[in-house]
Amino acid sequence: MLEQWRKAVFEETNGLKPEDFSWETPEGIKIKQLYTNIDSENLDFKQSLPGFPPYVRGVKASMYTVRPWTIRQYAGFSTAEESNKFYRNTLSEGGQGISVAFDLPTQRGYDSDHPGVKGDVGKTGVAIDSVEDMKILFDGIPLDKVSVSMTMNGAALPILACYVVTAEEQGCQIKKLSGTIQNDILKEFIVRNTYIYPPVPSIRIVTDIIKYCTRYLPSFNTLSVSGYHMQEAGADAAMELAYTLANGKEYIKNAIDAGLDIDEFAPRMSFFFGVGMSFYVEIAKLRAARLLWHEIVSEFKPENKKSSLLRTHCQTSGWSLTSQDPKNNIIRTTIEAMAAVLGGTQSLHTNSFNEAISLPTESSARIARNTQWILQNETGITKVVDPWGGSHMMESLTNELVIRAKTLIKEIDDEGGMVTAIEKGIPKFRIETSAIAKQAQIDKKEQNILGVNKISNSDQELEEVLEVNNEEVFKHQINRLQNVRTNRSQTKVDQALKALTDAAQREEDILLELTIDAIRLRATIGEVSKALEKVFGRHQANIMNVSGVYGKYFKDELNWKEIVIGVKSFAHAQGRNPRILISKMGQDGHDRGAKVIATGFADAGFDVDLSPIFSNPKDIAKQALENDVHAIGISSLAGAHKTLVLNLLAALNSQGSNDILVFLGGIVPNCDHKQLLDAGVKAIFGPSTPVYECVDNVLEYLNANNNSV
Amino acid sequence: MIDVQELKMGNRRALAKAITLIESDRDDHRQYAKELLNSVMPFTGNSYRIGISGSPGVGKSTFIETFGQKLIKSGSKLAVLAVDPSSPISGGCILGDKTRMRELNRLDGAFIRPSPAVNSIGGVTESTHESILLCEAAGYNWVFVETVGAGQSEYKVDTMTDVFLVLIEPGSGDVLQGIKKGIMELADILIVNKADGENLKLAERTQIQYNNALNILNYPKSWKPKVLTCSSIENLGFENVLNTLNEFRLIGQKSGSWGGKRKKQTVV
Repeated sequence: MLEQWRKAVFEETNGLKPEDFSWETPEGIKIKQLYTNIDSENLDFKQSLPGFPPYVRGVKASMYTVRPWTIRQYAGFSTAEESNKFYRNTLSEGGQGISVAFDLPTQRGYDSDHPGVKGDVGKTGVAIDSVEDMKILFDGIPLDKVSVSMTMNGAALPILACYVVTAEEQGCQIKKLSGTIQNDILKEFIVRNTYIYPPVPSIRIVTDIIKYCTRYLPSFNTLSVSGYHMQEAGADAAMELAYTLANGKEYIKNAIDAGLDIDEFAPRMSFFFGVGMSFYVEIAKLRAARLLWHEIVSEFKPENKKSSLLRTHCQTSGWSLTSQDPKNNIIRTTIEAMAAVLGGTQSLHTNSFNEAISLPTESSARIARNTQWILQNETGITKVVDPWGGSHMMESLTNELVIRAKTLIKEIDDEGGMVTAIEKGIPKFRIETSAIAKQAQIDKKEQNILGVNKISNSDQELEEVLEVNNEEVFKHQINRLQNVRTNRSQTKVDQALKALTDAAQREEDILLELTIDAIRLRATIGEVSKALEKVFGRHQANIMNVSGVYGKYFKDELNWKEIVIGVKSFAHAQGRNPRILISKMGQDGHDRGAKVIATGFADAGFDVDLSPIFSNPKDIAKQALENDVHAIGISSLAGAHKTLVLNLLAALNSQGSNDILVFLGGIVPNCDHKQLLDAGVKAIFGPSTPVYECVDNVLEYLNANNNSV
Repeated sequence: MIDVQELKMGNRRALAKAITLIESDRDDHRQYAKELLNSVMPFTGNSYRIGISGSPGVGKSTFIETFGQKLIKSGSKLAVLAVDPSSPISGGCILGDKTRMRELNRLDGAFIRPSPAVNSIGGVTESTHESILLCEAAGYNWVFVETVGAGQSEYKVDTMTDVFLVLIEPGSGDVLQGIKKGIMELADILIVNKADGENLKLAERTQIQYNNALNILNYPKSWKPKVLTCSSIENLGFENVLNTLNEFRLIGQKSGSWGGKRKKQTVV
């Protein structure tokens, strides 16, 4: 039979063989034109059933046929009042839980009045400085009834403490609280950079929270191990699987070392994966994740069957959204949502279509929510458990991903675990290399994206943009902070903070208990973080950069060769290479874009300086001046660009560095462009601008500027 | 062009532009650079020039970050010249040193300039020496030259600095073989970095191993190299580093080796 099919393909295609149609995924898996029973017959897990080990087919026997996944939309912005209004609205419109986004200063353990965070206050989420803010955030939302998910890692201790104290003061019994705190600090060191302390004390905090919650908040999910941010940073599916599960394993080892029993906490661990546009691979990834986690946890000999179940939340990919033709993103998000659901997720967040341009607006958030409602109610998708089960392709693909992830996990195990692997930069290096390769493929049009490298629609309708008035939020927070500080007993707060610092020095003390005491007395998030920082220190990232990866893809391309020649002739004329400082300012630690850009410029022949992440405009100006760069490239993804870039331009002016050209890249709404360009920014590059185009453009400006020594 | 007066007054921008000029490979720039150097020459020579080397990952930048802050807090002005190797393929390079010198970079008393090392192994270029002179003219009384420990560069740094520090990893004493000997003979002070936490005992053992190895070697100089330990992260051991550096200078000045070395360096 198979031979006859091969012959039919040959005839239909004028002489091509099925092998000519196979393509390799970024994970290195060869996808064939046709799968048959030969491809899946030897797979043990194929015979398993949903609700039974190894859970490939789902964590529950009945899955969505009885209860569909939870629609859980992540949101939060500006002030507690504004966010509260939004949550109440969501709940009244059928939302089934709240997922809180915090602003970056809160995530990094800074109060809103800390110098150096001003531009970020209230930008990517809600600003929380003390329990007073948290009480407003959850006003009218009974915490013993509504489950709350909090994306908090760095400042998990004070934020969880605020949540507990808010519940107490609402009159709830805290043992009834159900919700989730992300509390996954390891991935912050691998990708997102929103850490506070170094890895070792950071893991101690994770374990501390698990310990406390096991005792006092038995229904609370203490850990949501996240692969989402790795995918966003450029990891392929095998890396996302491997590093997320390896992180989970590290947490288990630490909790067991701290004296906990696996069955006490493992059932309360959950996961969080990203779902992108690689449809088949994403479905297979969730199936593979369950199988692998079951295997990993089984090594620790749990007795409770729930311990080795991988329950997961998913979110559609933010990186897959384009700023060109943004309404196409509705379609992308729908497809990704389908992959998440067909993979068997327990809850889902669907992105808003305009998120490559700005924060979601009320109407774009509604469309995102509706996408899930339609999938649940209009399609019949929920009527069958694991509909892909038995597909030769899907079973084979699941197996391939398992194999690849295992190889990567072994590499981590061989290093002695994730902490050492992180210190050596192994996962970071692999993810960054993958990110640059992916960008190069898109820039080379080997991977198609409508509106980016295919059929660009130039006349776009003007988008509606949600803008957070940062100045207002800032003033608001400062006022409330002052109120909190005047109306508390300073002596008591000082004592509580001192007790916390002392406890940090002793391994055995439970920090969360003491943090709750301090928060109850109205200590602020920043004060609590500082009290611990005295003992733990603040982590400084060791930034490494990959070079050569981008240029390799382009070395034979004509326009790339022209750019390289252009750089050389600039160097010849000036007596040195063009030099650019690539910077991240403010509290935005998402550095994928900056890294990719740095590699692209260096590969084209620029000398590239990197600033430390979390720099302030003054530091950048000083560095640019001392290094005597021709240009500065700012990467901004968290909405703080206006405040920070305008401050940078002012700082450059005041030190006489008017000859340094400033470029901006990342998420910058169109309505801000004019003001920034008028103020002196030379050009603004959107998130899907090909890197070679940026290089070419910058070079053109440098030539025009012709600044000689 | 470059205002020598501004440079001498410590104007940061003038110094930055002057170093660019020194590093330029354009003929007219070179000519002008020579003139500039001649005009600032009388104002040079008044810094403590320190070469800092060690293999990648040993923590050179973090060491400078911590030690530099200490010097500046005691009223010094510090210039750091960090040399990074260029990519052999494209000719461009990524200079990431300052990402590990966040706090030092913020201080007014610090001037940090990473430079791409064009066509030279491991790092030090002809212009590095001239850049040192410019920093001195601009009033910096400590100058660090940081290089990647790639072997040959150490010899060059040694010729342009007063003292040569080599940072070493805890545990590296176990493989103390002939290859290290070259660097050890050049080093005036060896520092076992990362002497903290679980590494503390290992670092102390490494210190002993290096000390033993040094005892076998012959020293023609008046100074017998010292092996110290420090922790850049916990800010420990730096008082000792500073004292040893001061002692080195004092002994050098007494024995006359200091002046001799300096004389060799003045040849531009």
